[in-house]
Amino acid sequence: MAVNESLRVLRTIHYDEHHYSLFVSAGTIGPKTKPGHFAMIQAGEGFRPYLRRAFSIADVTKVAGVPALEFVVKIVGVGTAALARFAEGTPLPVLGPLGVPFPIDDLLPSDRVALVAGGIGLAPLVLLARTLAARGIAADLFYGGRNENDVLKRADFERFLGPHRCRYATDDGSLGRRGRVTELFTNALAGGVRYRRVYACGPVAMFRALAELLAEAKLEGSFAMESEMACGFGVCLGCVVPMVDGRFATICKEGPCVSPAQIDWARL
Amino acid sequence: MTVDLSTAFGRLRLKNPIGTASGTFGYGLEFAHYLDLAALGAISVKGLSFRPCHGNPPPRICETDAGMLNAIGLQNVGVDAFLAEKLPELARLGATVIANVWGDTEDDYVAVVERIGSDRRVAAIEVNVSCPNVVKGGMIFGNNPEALAALVKRIRAATGHPLVVKLSPNVTDIVACAHAAVDAGADALSLINTLVGLAIDLERREPKIGFTTGGLSGPAIRPVALRMVWEVRKAIPKIPIFGMGGIETVEHVVEFLIAGANAVQIGTANFRDPSLASRLVGELAAWCEDHGVARVSDLVDTLRTRPRPDHEFA
Repeated sequence: MAVNESLRVLRTIHYDEHHYSLFVSAGTIGPKTKPGHFAMIQAGEGFRPYLRRAFSIADVTKVAGVPALEFVVKIVGVGTAALARFAEGTPLPVLGPLGVPFPIDDLLPSDRVALVAGGIGLAPLVLLARTLAARGIAADLFYGGRNENDVLKRADFERFLGPHRCRYATDDGSLGRRGRVTELFTNALAGGVRYRRVYACGPVAMFRALAELLAEAKLEGSFAMESEMACGFGVCLGCVVPMVDGRFATICKEGPCVSPAQIDWARL
Repeated sequence: MTVDLSTAFGRLRLKNPIGTASGTFGYGLEFAHYLDLAALGAISVKGLSFRPCHGNPPPRICETDAGMLNAIGLQNVGVDAFLAEKLPELARLGATVIANVWGDTEDDYVAVVERIGSDRRVAAIEVNVSCPNVVKGGMIFGNNPEALAALVKRIRAATGHPLVVKLSPNVTDIVACAHAAVDAGADALSLINTLVGLAIDLERREPKIGFTTGGLSGPAIRPVALRMVWEVRKAIPKIPIFGMGGIETVEHVVEFLIAGANAVQIGTANFRDPSLASRLVGELAAWCEDHGVARVSDLVDTLRTRPRPDHEFA
């Protein structure tokens, strides 16, 4: 079950003016966290930002020996901007771990899986890569962004998965192949690789294209979805996506990790 | 000093005046992990319709200055699933449950109320005539005192439960709506529901909410809510009132009591902090003790206003 607790800011690493990693003390959330879980963070006191913000728990790690949660953040508004400015030691209310994590318990050591990330969608895949590596499950990373600065934490992925298993694509060709990450992935499929499951996180356009590819190739997927959320635990009903059965499902409680086959992409 | 937090609310006797607002508290059970449901004065569950309702297509919410807009569209499991799957557990946990109900037509409302019947696990029925986020029903009744009176009369005839009518603030004259509800048989009033608002995505030149408009809640609306509670209290001195709108702190709770609410409901703040409502119960007792208030009911309707002057032209 999720915990509502106050965690201290341990460190903030700024990658460029738009992206940063926020490390907070792990509290009791750390040991409960599985790949794909998220947390709701209140960015300071006062009413701007008013609501907590939802972030994937990117990694459960250590900062100078202190157990830590890492959040990889792109500045897109008042909440993500406010969160970038907290000094070390600042207490932040954090609710987590929340949601349905990536399904990984059924994987066998002989399985091979793919991780597909677009832009800031790398966030939930870092802990996934670490966990898969620890279990000895081979995973290929396909990671795309607009440019080199959008493709974050490459050293971590390459350390966990092996450099030869990490492939990049950028819109401007500044890193890896010029083009879309889904093209990278298509090429790998064309090469005859068979994946037990494809884990993905990225913008809706990427999800949409990938869902189509997976359906055609009859491959199983698990997508970590994103939406504006007020509560994070299934009561505001603000974060829903349309499902093929006609319902609206909450991303916070029935997700964030969902099968793309269950989502009604035409209505999204 | 032991502070008496118990609150007479018409036929109900609440443990304390801290409740939670419909639409912000799920079916209560989602919060059982974060607070003791039995410690709250009452919990008002998500608006129940006769049949399950899928709600509106996304996007449904967006943050605004000191608040948020929502157009959920009353997504709910339906009254039958609530009675079968949620209410037994709420009763086991000792929650004082207020069933919030809504429909598209008078018949729909009556059907929900009849389904609840005389179930004693439900302490009261709260009628939602004020949801701004559905095309039919809801506000059609809330905006029109005559339609409201007709609806409340029919529901009154269909239930022996204490009947709370939750009013819409999207009206010129809240007192006229309050009178209509009370004269038609309401035992109590809840005010206020959300204020209709609009937020715009500049780059797309589109509304940020799929339904176009949404209901504004949060601290931004508190002054409006206080004003409406105060107006209705002046007009109808005896009617029990749940005051709500942007309550975040114990001071906000006390403001509503002073303005004339007998009890309050915590709303959007439940999203920010799921433990808040129960914490406010303790903080209210401490506040009363610090201020020499022996009974919380002594705070109710104690606003000292000055006479308003006539215009003075120079």
